[in-house]
Amino acid sequence: MADSPEKRGWIGRIWNWIWTPAVAFSSGFLILAGFLAGILFWGGFHWTLELTNTEEFCTSCHTMETNLGEYRETIHYNNHSGVRAICSDCHVPHEWNHKIKAKIMAVKDVYHELAGTISTPEKYEEHRLSMATAVWKKMKASDSRECRNCHNFDYMDFTLQETRAASEHQRAIDENMTCIDCHQGIAHSLPPGYQERYQEVTETLASKAQGSLQQQAAADGDDIKSFLSTRAD
Amino acid sequence: MLEILGTIGANVISLPGILGLALGMMTRRVWLGALMGGIVGVLATFVFAHGSFAAVDTFELLVAIGIGLCAGSVGSAIRIKGATV
Repeated sequence: MADSPEKRGWIGRIWNWIWTPAVAFSSGFLILAGFLAGILFWGGFHWTLELTNTEEFCTSCHTMETNLGEYRETIHYNNHSGVRAICSDCHVPHEWNHKIKAKIMAVKDVYHELAGTISTPEKYEEHRLSMATAVWKKMKASDSRECRNCHNFDYMDFTLQETRAASEHQRAIDENMTCIDCHQGIAHSLPPGYQERYQEVTETLASKAQGSLQQQAAADGDDIKSFLSTRAD
Repeated sequence: MLEILGTIGANVISLPGILGLALGMMTRRVWLGALMGGIVGVLATFVFAHGSFAAVDTFELLVAIGIGLCAGSVGSAIRIKGATV
């Protein structure tokens, strides 16, 4: 009787309990209880996730003090309209899928805080360009998705903007540019050599896009060839 | 590596994982559960790309389909193991 309940360990007993049909509860009770438990779980999960989006949470680590100081000098912190963009507004996507991916990837920040990768001003400066590059890459690849949560070319009144800003925004629309192409240092100080590095980022992403376009074109060409040969047969 | 883990985790607790599992639990046919999960993976990627196929990232699409297939299969396995009907 190796299978008898008495001889099973606690994991085996729990496993058995999970898969044994409930006889003490009606289906309605189980559905309602599951529904309520689901609401509680999901509400709690979402609420916790929102707590990790607050400025207090983001800047609670020692290594974020430099970023915070720089950001507090910018228009995204204090401005005439009284609208503030906090860390998560620029660094955490709104859409669920992208948001969860960003949250999981942010685990690296905890690791680097513990490892002390940027724990001193010298170390911070040493890594500033690579950190900035990572953010630029993301923003360029997503067409500045997080900027566009608040800013939209369609809602801009160019007549209210400074002449230079209006003409540059018009150029951005005409040349299909994205926000980060010009606004790299909008919330944090720019490292030396940033222009060259940003150029590298755009070129790398452009070559990737070009490669996938060529692959697609080649695949389309093969399709056409196979279609023509089928027709010829 | 982090990019891969992030994409997998995001899909597990997004539509491909949750809806794929739920749809899988509606059938005892594992292949059908997996198929429904895979379809959810395709649709979810399309939805999060704002309905534009040009904006769909191939890697994200493949991960979403993979997670959908797995979730759908697991859902069907739960149905087989945990229900008498």
